[in-house]
Amino acid sequence: MTAVVETEGLTKFYGKRRGLEDLDLEIRPGEVFGYLGPNGAGKTTTIRLLLDVIRPTRGRMSVLGAEPRDPAVRSRIGYLPGELALEGNEKARDYLAFLGGVRGGVSKDRISALAERLDADLSVPMGKLSKGNKQKVGLIQAFMHEPEFLILDEPTGGLDPLVQQEFLAMVREVRAGGRTVLMSSHVLAEVEDVADRVGIVRGGRLVAVEDVTALREKAVRRMELHFETPVPREAFEDLPGVRDLRVEGASVRCTIDGRPDALIKAAARFTVVHLVSAEPDLEEIFLTYYSENEEQEGRHARAGV
Amino acid sequence: MPALVSKSLRDYRRSLIRWTIGIGAFFTLYLSFYPNISENQEIYGPQALAKFPGAMRDLMGGMEDFTSGIGYLSSVVYQLFGPMLFIACAMILGNRAIAQPEESGTLELTVTLPVDRRRLVFERFVALVLGLLAVTVATFLLAWALSAVADMGVAFGRILAAHTGVFLLALLCGTLSLAVGAATGHKGLAMAVVGVVAVGGYIVETMGKNVDWISWLRWVSPFHYYLDGEPLYQGFPVGNYLVLAGATVVLLLTAILAFDRRDVGV
Ligand SMILES: Nc1ncnc2c1ncn2[C@@H]1O[C@H](COP(=O)(O)OP(=O)(O)O)[C@@H](O)[C@H]1O
Ligand SMILES: [Mg+2]
Repeated sequence: MTAVVETEGLTKFYGKRRGLEDLDLEIRPGEVFGYLGPNGAGKTTTIRLLLDVIRPTRGRMSVLGAEPRDPAVRSRIGYLPGELALEGNEKARDYLAFLGGVRGGVSKDRISALAERLDADLSVPMGKLSKGNKQKVGLIQAFMHEPEFLILDEPTGGLDPLVQQEFLAMVREVRAGGRTVLMSSHVLAEVEDVADRVGIVRGGRLVAVEDVTALREKAVRRMELHFETPVPREAFEDLPGVRDLRVEGASVRCTIDGRPDALIKAAARFTVVHLVSAEPDLEEIFLTYYSENEEQEGRHARAGV
Repeated sequence: MPALVSKSLRDYRRSLIRWTIGIGAFFTLYLSFYPNISENQEIYGPQALAKFPGAMRDLMGGMEDFTSGIGYLSSVVYQLFGPMLFIACAMILGNRAIAQPEESGTLELTVTLPVDRRRLVFERFVALVLGLLAVTVATFLLAWALSAVADMGVAFGRILAAHTGVFLLALLCGTLSLAVGAATGHKGLAMAVVGVVAVGGYIVETMGKNVDWISWLRWVSPFHYYLDGEPLYQGFPVGNYLVLAGATVVLLLTAILAFDRRDVGV
């Protein structure tokens, strides 16, 4: 199957300022792709390029097998801008009806159902909506025409936790229906529950693309085992993947790189009374990507002097 | 009606109503002075007006005759204030096509709709034409009715000719603000350009009649193609009006091409 998004050397400079450089990205049909990076990394720049809001300085891209320039392709995309502006006396319901009409027709019931789901009031003039409610209207317009491809730029900003959960459920339903999602965020926690893969951008460059499950497997996790009787240290030394081993009487503490298999098998020889395994902290891995990249940049900078 | 046109007109509705009321009030107020002026020849008659300095009379469009109905209409209503009100209205509508929504951020979602960029500009232009036309038609009917009530003795066709000229002049200025906004995305710049063209154009056209070194500039002043034909006295100056319409088309094409090739919202 052809990729939903394919870019090659995609680059955008704002004058002399780098927005994005040499992006090679592929987003596959049916996946939820998390696009991560701190503020100013180039996430919004990428998304605006894909939607033909801005034009690349150089490079090539295709979206749903077409050029983003082709207006027809945009009716198959749902887009939530990072900075959504809604204003004026117009009621959200009328604005949604207008957007739906231009995109080929969306039933009133569909809009009402989404509004109910997100608990959005559509009868208020848009200029008077709170930030959270504007974001809900933004989500409704992105989802309402059931697009093949959803592009969501920092979608959870301003949403309360309950609505956030509902939103994540909507994203999962989209994926279950075989449709594709690209969502950006500056925090991993927002996307790790739904994303299949994450791409990490920094300073206008894509520094890594990873499967979330692979990322989890790579994750460093802390483990703690408590036994009925004291255990010998030798039984746990030199196990693959085990680090920072501390054996104190009947308890064993360590950190695990990757799979905990060897540790579990070693522990099984004794009577285990209690086992604690902390959730892998993906944020930590995420940060190591950044710091590695920073070191590299530092080296380049020094070499350049 | 295409969705973007009807949506724009819905957005403009309040503004259009306000402008119609405002311009209508201007006509009503000024035409209500007319009976008083026509009865006081010694204050407002040609001899009295001749006392004003020549340059000032030029700037006010000659001020040859206030006391006849047609003279009053042409020098008070259709000379400066009427056109300027329409130009201001058109400029604001022209800005609402691209520059204003771009600055407020609402244009971002609009350009991601499955509508060609060129078509977006064109439909916003159509909304400008229709909105301005609505204000023009309403105020034309009012001006005609008021002039008949005040017994000014100006033919329907002549008022129509003058009003049409005001419409074409304002549409040109509105399209200019649309084009500057489409090319640059800056509302303030668009207003500055229209301001310079309208005010400068008026001064050049009126002063240029008697000042040789600026008279050649009259040919580039949009006001020239409205005022020079004296539509209230002579009827439709067809050639001149075609120049206004042609310039509008050129500006529209420029706007379409410029907007099609640039980044939005940067
Ligand atoms: N309109 C613009 N003009 C100049 N620089 C810009 C503009 N938009 C973004 N940038 C720059 O491009 C880089 C990437 O920005 P952006 O794509 O908005 O990042 P993100 O969405 O990841 O926070 C930043 O350094 C930002 O300052
Ligand atoms: Mg952003």
